[in-house]
Amino acid sequence: MDNTGKNIIIFTVLLVITSLLFLLDIFMGSVSLKITDVLKALFTTSEPEIEMIVLRFRLPKAITATVVGIALSISGLQMQTLFRNPMAGPYVLGISSGASLGVAFIILGFSADLSPENLRGMGNWSVIAAAWAGAAAVMVLMLWLSSKLKDILTVLVIGIMLAGGISAIVTIMQYFSHETMLKAYIVWTMGSLGNLTASQLNVMLLSVSAGIVISLLSVKSLNALLLGENYAATIGLNVGLSRLLILTGTSILAGSITAFCGPIGFIGIAVPHVTRLIFRSADHRILLPGIFLTGSSIMLLSDIVSQLPGSDNVLPVNSVTAMIGIPVVIWVVLRNRKYQGVL
Amino acid sequence: MNNEIVLLLESLIIGYEKGGHNIPVYLPVNASGRKGELIAVIGRNGIGKSTLLRSIAGLQKPLGGTVCINGKESREYSKTELAQNLGYVSTEVVKVNNMRVYDLVSLGRFPHTNWYGRMKQSDHDIVLNCLEMTGMTALADMLITEISDGERQKAMIARVLAQDAAVMVMDEPTAFLDITSRYEIVHLMHQLAVEKAGTIVFSTHDLNIALNQADKIWLMLDDDLKEGSPEDLMLEGSFDKLFSSPEVRFNTDDGSLTIKKEERGRLYVEGTGRLRHWTEKALSRAGFSITVEKTPRYIKTPPGKNGTWVLANGNSSREYNTIYDLLRELTA
Repeated sequence: MDNTGKNIIIFTVLLVITSLLFLLDIFMGSVSLKITDVLKALFTTSEPEIEMIVLRFRLPKAITATVVGIALSISGLQMQTLFRNPMAGPYVLGISSGASLGVAFIILGFSADLSPENLRGMGNWSVIAAAWAGAAAVMVLMLWLSSKLKDILTVLVIGIMLAGGISAIVTIMQYFSHETMLKAYIVWTMGSLGNLTASQLNVMLLSVSAGIVISLLSVKSLNALLLGENYAATIGLNVGLSRLLILTGTSILAGSITAFCGPIGFIGIAVPHVTRLIFRSADHRILLPGIFLTGSSIMLLSDIVSQLPGSDNVLPVNSVTAMIGIPVVIWVVLRNRKYQGVL
Repeated sequence: MNNEIVLLLESLIIGYEKGGHNIPVYLPVNASGRKGELIAVIGRNGIGKSTLLRSIAGLQKPLGGTVCINGKESREYSKTELAQNLGYVSTEVVKVNNMRVYDLVSLGRFPHTNWYGRMKQSDHDIVLNCLEMTGMTALADMLITEISDGERQKAMIARVLAQDAAVMVMDEPTAFLDITSRYEIVHLMHQLAVEKAGTIVFSTHDLNIALNQADKIWLMLDDDLKEGSPEDLMLEGSFDKLFSSPEVRFNTDDGSLTIKKEERGRLYVEGTGRLRHWTEKALSRAGFSITVEKTPRYIKTPPGKNGTWVLANGNSSREYNTIYDLLRELTA
């Protein structure tokens, strides 16, 4: 009856895997380092050059990967449960489209004032601020709509339609923009984990923490929502309030990640399914802690693969998450046809 | 048995709001339920059974009137308090992968647990007890996607039991189930109403089950809601109004339903016991009325197990091996 023992074993194994992947992510890179040097740099002191590579570049990147993995996976889990739809993810509310519209305005809209060099990569506060503003605008709109609408599926449909509409606007902007600016924008849409400064990382950690706290407060509601909103209401859930809380948490999580790292796809849809499979449970009291480990592991793994071990080239992280995520999504679709259950 | 009224509906107007207008779907409802009662809600399709039950459960705002539970108006309860006093099960099927029966039933403890949904030992004990009462203990570790429809419905009932509410509202809990499971579940509900001293209100289209199991019936007719024991309603002829169709005839002697057929004539059946009973039954199904006095044309049932049915008409007579053959001849 009780799976506590089994779950403790799974948690321990996952914790070990995540830690190893974290170290491996720091170890891998264009400059090859000895493991002993990496460990020395991390825990004691080492040559200044190695220390700089490890502490200034690779450690922040590994931390970013971990945080991105956790935040996107939690948002995906919440959206799948709220909409009772296995294909829902962090971006169903149109948050990434909102962010990309903000970024498109900055990069494509004001191309006369900004040189492409200023916008290289993500380490630019103006791009982050624009993405945040765009995501927040969509988030406020969706929260307002969801408080007006009775049926949660309507919210889903409007979110998807809104995302489509915004993409259309961005496409028009792309069509009329300069080549170099276009490339800068495209590079942003590919996502990146490695361009954050220490202060940017701190801001991201702070907002993600806020999102995680809200998610923890929603655990009980999420379990009730598995039954559907009708049953959830009759066991005493304040459906409207918890819906708002869950959407807010998701918006903060997905919005901050998109602002700082670009729209990173498939992690948010795929990881919740992997987590449910590993724990064989639908209980969010188990899934939520579990997803911290599965989410960060899969994102760290994606980052390791994107560095193409043994090569100087780096792949866009979005392609790697897609290549890892898509098989999972296909597997979910095939499996659902057999069981006919949601989630 | 305690005679306290647990559920009281006073001039409850059920319906919905459209474009700022209130659209009632039924007459104002006055009805009540006492401790330990199993109440069946009966009425034709579309009369508002589900709306009534949803309004009691708080899923739909009444347009007027009150629902009182344990002497307190339901809208004065907080959401959690209301859930502690009122549970709801409908035909809506919960199909979630990776959810065990045990987890589903545990969700019934929702209004009793803390903000994180932590289950105390006492909560686990209640869940185990509810699984036991519904006969689901052996399936506790199965996934809800792996069990049958009847078992899943029992699991949903175990869940509402775990909620430990005085009033349980069930909207067609036996729809989609086979006859055996239907009787099992309604019998279970009856037992639970008594054992847990709760009030269970359920809607059904199965008149037979309602008449045989319910302590009370809320009969939703087009012009009135009649409330009373099945037998009282039967004797005052309320059920007749349920069937406005001239095709269906309600037999007030035994509560059975028959479909009116074209009259084929009168027949007398000679014989005894089961053979005679089923022969008469077959003949009335075919549209004959059975008489007590001998008719010129009559039927003799077989004397024993291996005999034949005889259709006698004056001096001539013909024999048939089965009722089926006999009917074929009579209705040809």
